[in-house]
Amino acid sequence: MMNTGYVRPRTLEDALAFLAENSGKTRIVAGGTDVMVDLRAGTLKTDYLLDVSRLQALRGIEIIGNDLSVGAAATLSEIYNSAILEAHAPALQKSAVNFASKQIRNVATIGGNVAHCSPCGDTLPALAIHEARAVLSSPAGERQVPIEAIASGPYMCALPQNEIITRFILKPATVAFADFQKIGRRKELAVARMSMAYMADKDAEGRICFFRFALGACTPTPQRNHRIEAMLTGQIPDAARIWEAGRVLAEDTIAVTGRRASAVYKESAIQGLFMRMVYPLV
Amino acid sequence: MDPKTVHIEFTLNGSPRSLEIPGAASALWVIRNLIGLKGAKEGCGIGECGACTIEVDGKAVNSCLMLAAQLDGADVLTVEGLASEDGLHPLQSSFLEHHGVQCGFCTPGLLMSTHALLKENPHPDHAQVSKAIAGNLCRCTGYRQIFASIEDAVKHNSGEAAQ
Amino acid sequence: MKPEYNVIGKSLPRTGSVDRLRGAPVFAADIQLENPLILKALRSAHDHAEVVAIDVSKALAIEGVVRIFTAADIPGKNLLGIINKDQPLLATDKVRSRSDAVALVAAETESAAHEALAAISVTYNPLPSVTDPFEALKTDAPKIHPKGNLLFSRKIRQGDAEAAFAGCASVIEKTYRTSMIEHNYLEPDAGAGFVDTDGTLVIYASTQNPHYDHKEVVTLLGLGDNQVRIIQAATGGGFGSKLDLNVQGFIGLALFHLKRPVRHVYTREEAYLATAKRHPLTLTVKTGADADGRLKAIKAHIVCDTGAYGSYGIAVASRSAVHVTGPYEIEHVDIESYCVYTNKPFCGAMRGFGAPQVAFAHESQIDLHARDLGMDPLDIRLKNCLRVGSKTGTGQVLTASVGIGECLEAVKPYYREALESGVSAPTHPFRRRGIGLGAMWYGIGNTGVQNPSTAGIEMDPEGHITLFTGCADIGQGSTTVLAQIAAETLGVQPAEIRMVVGDTKYTTNAGATSASRQTYISGNAVKDACQKLGDVLMTEAINRLHSPKDSLVFQDGHVVIKAGPENRPEDRIDFPCLAKRIHAKGVPLFWQGYFDPETIPLDPETGAGSPYATYAFACHLALLEVDTLTGQVTLEKLVAAHDVGQAIHPENVIGQICGGAAMGIGFALMEEFEPQKTVSMKDYHIPTCADVPTVIPIIVESAEPSGPYGAKGVGEPALIPTAPAIINAIARALGERIYHLPANLERVLAASISSGHFGPQEVTHG
Ligand SMILES: Cc1cc2nc3c(=O)[nH]c(=O)nc-3n(C[C@H](O)[C@H](O)[C@H](O)COP(=O)(O)OP(=O)(O)OC[C@H]3O[C@@H](n4cnc5c(N)ncnc54)[C@H](O)[C@@H]3O)c2cc1C
Ligand code: FES
Ligand code: FES
Repeated sequence: MMNTGYVRPRTLEDALAFLAENSGKTRIVAGGTDVMVDLRAGTLKTDYLLDVSRLQALRGIEIIGNDLSVGAAATLSEIYNSAILEAHAPALQKSAVNFASKQIRNVATIGGNVAHCSPCGDTLPALAIHEARAVLSSPAGERQVPIEAIASGPYMCALPQNEIITRFILKPATVAFADFQKIGRRKELAVARMSMAYMADKDAEGRICFFRFALGACTPTPQRNHRIEAMLTGQIPDAARIWEAGRVLAEDTIAVTGRRASAVYKESAIQGLFMRMVYPLV
Repeated sequence: MDPKTVHIEFTLNGSPRSLEIPGAASALWVIRNLIGLKGAKEGCGIGECGACTIEVDGKAVNSCLMLAAQLDGADVLTVEGLASEDGLHPLQSSFLEHHGVQCGFCTPGLLMSTHALLKENPHPDHAQVSKAIAGNLCRCTGYRQIFASIEDAVKHNSGEAAQ
Repeated sequence: MKPEYNVIGKSLPRTGSVDRLRGAPVFAADIQLENPLILKALRSAHDHAEVVAIDVSKALAIEGVVRIFTAADIPGKNLLGIINKDQPLLATDKVRSRSDAVALVAAETESAAHEALAAISVTYNPLPSVTDPFEALKTDAPKIHPKGNLLFSRKIRQGDAEAAFAGCASVIEKTYRTSMIEHNYLEPDAGAGFVDTDGTLVIYASTQNPHYDHKEVVTLLGLGDNQVRIIQAATGGGFGSKLDLNVQGFIGLALFHLKRPVRHVYTREEAYLATAKRHPLTLTVKTGADADGRLKAIKAHIVCDTGAYGSYGIAVASRSAVHVTGPYEIEHVDIESYCVYTNKPFCGAMRGFGAPQVAFAHESQIDLHARDLGMDPLDIRLKNCLRVGSKTGTGQVLTASVGIGECLEAVKPYYREALESGVSAPTHPFRRRGIGLGAMWYGIGNTGVQNPSTAGIEMDPEGHITLFTGCADIGQGSTTVLAQIAAETLGVQPAEIRMVVGDTKYTTNAGATSASRQTYISGNAVKDACQKLGDVLMTEAINRLHSPKDSLVFQDGHVVIKAGPENRPEDRIDFPCLAKRIHAKGVPLFWQGYFDPETIPLDPETGAGSPYATYAFACHLALLEVDTLTGQVTLEKLVAAHDVGQAIHPENVIGQICGGAAMGIGFALMEEFEPQKTVSMKDYHIPTCADVPTVIPIIVESAEPSGPYGAKGVGEPALIPTAPAIINAIARALGERIYHLPANLERVLAASISSGHFGPQEVTHG
C-alpha cells in the first residue's frame, strides 16, 4: 500500500502521456472493484494507479448516428438506469440488474468489467450479441477492436499497456425479445456460474427472423455461438427445437472446455438455462 | 511531486477535511485509521459484506473497495454523521424500535445503504429495499427486523430520513 | 391461565443498540489504545509436519518489528481446549493443520508485521496426512495425536433394535453427509490489550466466554487469577466459534513480555483459516416403523470429523448421539457416535453442536417412512412426537414443557392451506413447487455434564441496583433479558438496573454463551441472586410495614402491601429507605446467585441418563420452488414454530428464529467450507436478504417449571429445523431426495435429472 502511487489526470491526453511514460509500471483504475481486491490479495503489484474514472472522454451513454456508444467509465448503475440501453440494448441493461451489489454497481465500470477479462464478467455476453467493439486510445491515436479480442484467456488482457479503452460501440437493436440470465450460488451478490444473453425477433408467421446469442462464464472467454444462431433462425420456435438447440450449445461448450468435474453440472445447466431464457419465444 | 502520497480534500459529515494519504490506501483504512472514525467496519475487505458502506456524493459505496484518493472533492457521509445533537436520526430510531440491531456489526453499513436509497427514492417498496441492501450481509437477524425497521422509517418518511 | 408479569414478555430496546447505531467505537478493533503494537500470527504451511526449526533472524531485522514469539516464549502451559486440552497456542514439535500458529509477530505497523510473516523461515519435515475421518480410523493411518485419531465415542443402547426391525413394516437405512461450515459472524475475531498501572494484563476480546478465556490465559502465562483481566468487547456475532481462544492468548503473551498496548485483529481471511468450523458429519441411520407409522427402532452410526483439535468435538459427538432419534419416542435404540481427528482445520461449537446435522437425517428418515407407508408427513410426526411422560432414547422421562405437539399443531393450518392450494401440481413447464416439514428437539445446556452459572446483585445504601454477570452478550440480547429477569424479581424497571457484564475483574463465571443455555441457566442464577437480595429487603419491610411477608410485593422500587386498594403512603416503603437500614445493620446487600441444571451423566456403556434438565422444541415448514432446468431453489415462505417455554423478550425470540432460519437456509442450500479453497468471503456464500423469504415466526409457550419465569432457550433451535424442512420440500417437489448437504445447484439439478424432471414438461392448467 505504501509503495503505490496514485495519479488522476484531468484529460485523456494527460492520462495517455502518463501511461506512455510509465508503461509497465502503471495500472489503470476506474471503479477499483477488481483492482482493490487484487491489491489486497497481493496478486497485483504496481508503482502507479492511474484513475480514469472521472475522465469526460470515457463517460456517457448515447446514440451516435447508427451506433450506440457506451463510455468505458459508465458505471453499472448508470447502465442499470439507462433508458437508452433499455431501448437499444436491453440485454446489457439487464446484465446490470443482478450485478454484484448496489454499492459495487455505483462505482464499477463496464470498461473495468471488460478489461479485467474474467470469464464471468456479466456485461460480456450482452456486449457480444451487440457485436461490440472497444475504442482504444493511445498516444498513436484511436483504434477499434472487437471485444472478444480483448481477453486472450481468463484474466489475461491482450491490450498493450499504453492503451485506454474509452468507449464501446454497439450495434443497437430494437427487438421484441431480449434477455440476460445468470446462475449464481445465491440470489444476489453472486458471481455467475453461468450467464447468457440473447435477442430475437419473429416475423409475421412466427418464424425467428433474427437471433443472437452469447454464453458467459463457461468458456475461458465469453463467446457467441453461431451454430445455434443459424439453427434457430428461420424456424418456428417450439419447446423441442429450443431444447435441441440447448443441447447443441452444451455440446459445443464441452468441446471447448473438456469434460472436467465442474462440466457435469454445466453441461446440463447450459441446456436448461438456454431453455428457460429463450422459452418466451415459444 | 511524488505521487506515492496524495493530498486530498473532501467534506466528511459536513466538515471540510484535508489530509495526506498513501496512494493506494482504501477509503476504509483512511477513515478508520487516519481519521479515527470507527463506525464503518471491515467485515471482509473485498466488497462481499457491506459492513464498510459509506455514502459518497449521495451514493452508497463499499469503502474497502474505494481508493481514499477517490474521495478527493467528494461529499462523504459516514454513520457518525447521521445522528444530530438532538438525538438519533429517524432511521436509527426505527432500527432501535424495531429491533433491527443484534450484534450491530452490520448496522452502520445497513444504515448507510438505506440512507442513500431514501435519498434517491423516499418511498421504496420491499423489492427496492431488498435491491439496495442485498450487498449488506447480516448473519444475526435473518433480515426480517431490518426490513421492518426500514419499512417503518419509509412509512413515516416525509423527507427527513434522507437528510 | 398465564401469570401476569411486569416486564417479562415485553420487548424493550436492546441494551447497547444505541452505541452500535451511532457507530461508537465499541468493538475490539475499534478500541483506541496509545501507540499499540500490531500482532500477526504465522500459520502452518502444511497439513501435517514436524517443525524442525524456526529462524526469525531475517524477520527481526525488518524495521518496526519488535519481537517474534514462538512456543519457547510461553511461560505457562502451552495447551488449550475447552473440553480436552490438545491444542497448543504456538506449535511445538509439529503442526497438525494449516490453521496451526507457528510464530507470532509483534510490530509497530501492519506492513512491518506482514513483511515479517513472509521473512520467518520455518523448516518443516512433512508427515503423511489424513483428511478423511474414515481413513483416519484405520490402524495404519498417520497418527495425529499421541493417543491416536479417535478422540471420543458415545454409545446409547436401549432395548433390542435389531430384533425390533424384524417386526417393522417399514425399515429404512440411509447415509447422510453434511459439509464443513464456517460461522461467518460479521465481525472477524479481534482483541486488544494493555498492562494496567498495577501490572494486570487487561485484554479486550470479542468472545462468547470471558471467564473461560481468563482461565486459559492465566494457565498459558502461569499467572495468578488477578493478574489477568478479560473484558468482553462488543462482540459481532459468535455462533460458537468465539468460544475457543482466538486472539486472547496471543495478546496475553505479547503483553506479558512487552508490557505495551497491543492489538490483534484477524482479517476475514485469517478468521477463515484459523478459527473453528462446524463438524462435517457422516451418519448412517436405520429406522423402523410399524404399519401404523409408529417408530420402533433406530440404529445410527455417526462420525464427526473434528479436524486437528478437539475444541467442542466431544460435545458434538455426544449431543449428536442423543439427538439423532429426533423429537420422537423410539423404544429400541442403538447409537454410536465417534469423534475423529483429521489434518483439517479444527471443528468446534457451532449453533446446535451436531443437532442440525442429525436433524437432517432424522427428518429425512421420517419423511421416507411416511412415503413408504402412504402417510402424511405431518400426521406421522404427530403420531410419534414426544409428550409429557415420554421416555427419550437415554431413558429420561420428560415431566413437563414438551411443546413439540403444539409446534406441529401450530404449523398445521399453513401446511393444510398449502396442500389444498395444490403446491405440488405441475403447473409450469420447468418449475416444481414443494412443501416440507422439519421438526427438532434440543437439550438446553451441556450434555450430561455440570454447567453452572453464577451472578451477583448488589444494592448500594442509596437503593441503586447493580447486576453482575459474566454472561457474554454476543448480539442475541442476553444482557437485556437478564436485566428483565432481575427487574421482574425485584419489581423495578430494567433501565434502573446498572449492568456490569463480562468483565472478569467484577463478574463471576456464567459459563459459555452457547448451547442456548444463558436465558435458562444464567437467567436462573440472576433470579436466585435477586431472590436472596429480595429476602433481605422483605425481612426489613415486614418490620417497617408491620405486615406479614405473604402480604407484601415488590412494586416500582418499593415494597408494598398488596391488599391496600387506597394505596396509602404508609403501606409502602422504598428501596433507599430499606437499603439504608439494612446497610446500617451490617446485613449484606450483595448476593451471589447460582444455578446448575439437574442432569444425570450418561452411562458410558448404555448411554442411560438425563443429559439435560429441559428441552426446546420446534417445527418449521418450508414452501419453495425448484427450477428443474438449473437446480436453482427459490424459497417462498418459512413458518417457524418454537416452544421456548416463555418468551422473556418476544422480539429477541423472533430475532433468533429469523436469524436461525437464515443460517439454516445457508446450511441447506449454499454453505460449504473447503479447506484451502475457501480463502476469503468471495469463496463462501451466506444468504443475502434476497435469499431469505418471508418467515412467519410462531412462539409456542409451554412453560418450563424449572426455568426463570418458565423460559427455556431458542438460540440454536432456531436453525435446526430449517434445512430438514427445505430438503423435504425439495424431495416433495422432485420426488427425489438429496442426502448430502448443501443441496447446491449441482445436487439439485442432479436430482431433477434423475427424477425425470429435466426438460420441458407437460403442464396441467387450472
Ligand atoms: C464483491 C464483488 C462482486 C462482484 N460481482 C460481480 C458480478 O456479479 N458480475 C461481474 O461481472 N463482476 C462482478 N465483480 C467484479 C467487478 O466488480 C467488475 O469486474 C467491475 O466491472 C470492474 O469494474 P471497475 O471499474 O471496478 O474496474 P477496476 O477494478 O477499476 O479495473 C479492473 C481492470 O480493468 C482495467 N481497466 C479499467 N478501466 C479501464 C479502461 N478504461 N481501459 C483499460 N483498462 C481498464 C484495470 O486496469 C483493471 O485491470 C464483483 C466484484 C466484487 C468485489
Ligand atoms: S469490508 Fe467492505 S464490503 Fe466487507
Ligand atoms: S446484527 Fe449481527 S450481523 Fe447483523
